[in-house]
Amino acid sequence: MIALVRTEFTKAFVRLRTLIIAAILVGLPTLIVVAIHARGNRVRDNGDNGEGLFRLAHLSGLLVPAAVLAAMSGFLLVVIAGTLAGDSVAGDASWGNLRYLLMRPVPRGRLLFAKAFVAGTLIWTCTILVVLTAAVGGITLFGSHAVAVPGQFDLTTLTRTSGFTLSVGTLLARTAFATVYVAFGFTALLALGTFFSTLTDTSAGAIGATIGAYIVSEILGAISQLGTIRYAFPTYYLDAWQSMFTSNSYSKDMVAGVIVQCCYLAVFGTAAIVWFKRKDIRS
Amino acid sequence: MADAVEAIVDVDGLWKSFGSVSAVEDFSFRVERGQVCGLLGPNGAGKTTSLRVLMGLERPTRGDVRLFGTTVRPGCHEFARVGAMVEQAAFIPHFSGMKNLRVWWEASGARWRDADVEGALAVAALGTAINRKVKTYSQGMKQRLGFARLLLGRPELLVLDEPTNGLDPGEIREIRELIARLTQQGATVLLSSHHLSEVEQTCTNVIVMDHGRLVASGRVSDIIGNAGGVYIEVDDRERARTLLANLPNVANVIPQGDGLLVEMREGRRSDLAAAIVGAGLRLETITPTQQLEDAFLHLLDSRVVEPPKEPAR
Repeated sequence: MIALVRTEFTKAFVRLRTLIIAAILVGLPTLIVVAIHARGNRVRDNGDNGEGLFRLAHLSGLLVPAAVLAAMSGFLLVVIAGTLAGDSVAGDASWGNLRYLLMRPVPRGRLLFAKAFVAGTLIWTCTILVVLTAAVGGITLFGSHAVAVPGQFDLTTLTRTSGFTLSVGTLLARTAFATVYVAFGFTALLALGTFFSTLTDTSAGAIGATIGAYIVSEILGAISQLGTIRYAFPTYYLDAWQSMFTSNSYSKDMVAGVIVQCCYLAVFGTAAIVWFKRKDIRS
Repeated sequence: MADAVEAIVDVDGLWKSFGSVSAVEDFSFRVERGQVCGLLGPNGAGKTTSLRVLMGLERPTRGDVRLFGTTVRPGCHEFARVGAMVEQAAFIPHFSGMKNLRVWWEASGARWRDADVEGALAVAALGTAINRKVKTYSQGMKQRLGFARLLLGRPELLVLDEPTNGLDPGEIREIRELIARLTQQGATVLLSSHHLSEVEQTCTNVIVMDHGRLVASGRVSDIIGNAGGVYIEVDDRERARTLLANLPNVANVIPQGDGLLVEMREGRRSDLAAAIVGAGLRLETITPTQQLEDAFLHLLDSRVVEPPKEPAR
């Protein structure tokens, strides 16, 4: 198994696509940090959490990673994670290389696990890379000090919440926690992508289906008329971590988010294994 | 009772269906150790599907497929003893040839030092190009690299599906010579090919299939010898024509060029030669016209094709 994982890592790392992704994940957060710095104190208070995090970011460099994570986890990280997961099996199939891998004494379930594990590790690495880059940029430009978060006007209750202070230790711990939550939030996407990847020999098709499923989930999740059905969507609880920085609370939605991700992993992970083990390899 | 000769490949009653379409129907054959066995059939005969099932890429609908006496399952250990090239050789395009070989070999946990990579590279003869990215290779280079890959670890059985597809005549000859060298070293080979002359020159045995079914199998010489023609040149063609037309084992005598084309029902060429010489004619040339291609086409033409059936459950 270790040998299989090692070779899959080699295949994933040693390619131009990975370098481009790494460059984007370093470059874009850097650009965002510079933009926050250039924008300075010209802030708007429109009650939006993402906006709110950006509004707070200039207060301390230790808040910048959270702001950048909020900006990038909504789409770019989804695209990257979808690409890594969707390409896991279909990439080899589209090269015609999958059949040669399977003509080795390598059990299919083990191969699929190795591919999903490598894709998952890369997704976590990408998330961590974004946070680290933002942290370096943020601390460089804004320093690493505690921050007093001012109260906000809540449009739903028409009241102003009280402010609070986040110490350096709290900021570091919550940033780490947010990173883990966001990275884990791509578990459903990983399971879906791996499953789609076993269904087709076309890498682009699997990637498109994975990202498409997330976009559909986002759109449906925004329709309140769907009621409780939305709670089962893989994207519904993805932003639940932001309350740690905006309202100084750990939302119960984070627990629900973890449970939803685990359910998707169980269902689509099992489906991927069952399908791939029985599949006729025609590529 | 155990077979006297070890069957490296033993396919028994194989059926493979895709929905309502049967690709392979009740197909059985054996390849014994040391044989170079050609799998022949027209397009759509089921050759590639049979080889894919043999290599665990596709599940048989019914029947038993064994390698080295063990029933084939995806990822089974016996694959470590097999080098296979099914359809085109395919690689990770952004890796060098050498990196491709190594990643493929090590995926199963095998040690690189056990791969006998020098021997495999000598076969590929890619020189310094082995360190170039595969996406810069020509089709012929990829095919040679494919041969290097299947030879890693000195497999006991080589399974080759149309190994010379896409190669120029010089490369085809190289591959043919390579197969001959490998069989001299004791490898067992099962190869499918459209090139009948290639099978004739390379293989000791042949399996002919059509519409997913076995048509004939046996030694190449036996398959060729079952029916055939002889080209004869003599000093008096018209006399010889009359003489030969009256022989009981001759079906037809047709003038061709300076000589006669004799279609035989049965018997040997030496019978014709004896009759000609015995009649006082001078025999200038006698040569078989029957080649594997003729035998192959004869077998397919004479076969009554029944409509496909559903495999029995």
